[in-house]
Amino acid sequence: MAAEHAAVADNPNIGCTGLDHRKMGMWAFLGSECMFFGSLIGTYLSYKGKSINGPGPHEILNIPLTSLSAFVLLMSSLLMVLALAAVQRNDMKWGKIWLFATAMFGASFVGFQCFEFTHFVHLGLTLQTNRFGSTLLVLPGSHGGHVAGGVIWLLSLWVLAMRGKLGSQDTLKVEICALYWHFVDIVWIAIFTLIYLIP
Amino acid sequence: MAMDSSHAASPAAHAPGEGHATVQTYVRVAVVLGILTAIEIGALYVPGLPSHLLVTLLLFFSVLKFALVVAFFMHLRYDNKLLTVLFVGPLFIAMFIILALMALFGAYLLLARG
Repeated sequence: MAAEHAAVADNPNIGCTGLDHRKMGMWAFLGSECMFFGSLIGTYLSYKGKSINGPGPHEILNIPLTSLSAFVLLMSSLLMVLALAAVQRNDMKWGKIWLFATAMFGASFVGFQCFEFTHFVHLGLTLQTNRFGSTLLVLPGSHGGHVAGGVIWLLSLWVLAMRGKLGSQDTLKVEICALYWHFVDIVWIAIFTLIYLIP
Repeated sequence: MAMDSSHAASPAAHAPGEGHATVQTYVRVAVVLGILTAIEIGALYVPGLPSHLLVTLLLFFSVLKFALVVAFFMHLRYDNKLLTVLFVGPLFIAMFIILALMALFGAYLLLARG
């Protein structure tokens, strides 16, 4: 116990709260991201149904396809938490598998979104078409950018793990990445309901 | 800077498997999330369901899914309460931003204008 407290006192990353600065920083960042996405969601809902010309949501949105991609992202959160649990118990074989699987699920989600956006453009909906087009493409587009960033982060961790440079001593690295990944998942839970499901 | 020792050394941190949910809990939460999503999508195809009831139901399930992920997958249920304050505070501000923008532009989900 005394040795543990000495280690804490020597660690420059532990503040007077007893929490790691990097983890607190990530939570503060996620809080600011809430406000970023809150502004975009508020703008989308404010402009909803106020486009003068089409196409509108009913002609464009593909609920079954988006439901599938939402399910993929939701399940990637499970894989992420399994990866974190594996790294915590120093089971790097499963840690690598779950990290890679999470990245692949995330990449699939980005693929679904690229397909969906291409389909929108083919149907005549672009950023310049109407208010629905600009708010629709900016909100899920921003989210998709976040997911793509998360995929790159996950693959970086996976490469480190493959090179034997990630172990249970690096739990915090994986935990911070996991916080970010779960955040993009909860943002999609909100976007999916507010844009795609609510008529 | 290497992130090598902080988490294990922190008094507020957890030893592997301690204070956090188990793998079984994670799987159970994922199953519940899947079922809630299926109910949400299924509700869209229920004939004759009033619009205000559908919107309320969808918002309720969405909040429930959001809370489950934050509490269990992000470990906020088991972590220091300061982290909850750091996240939930801005979340309420974000909700206020959404409601304020909607009120400014006269956009209501459940209530008709006038």
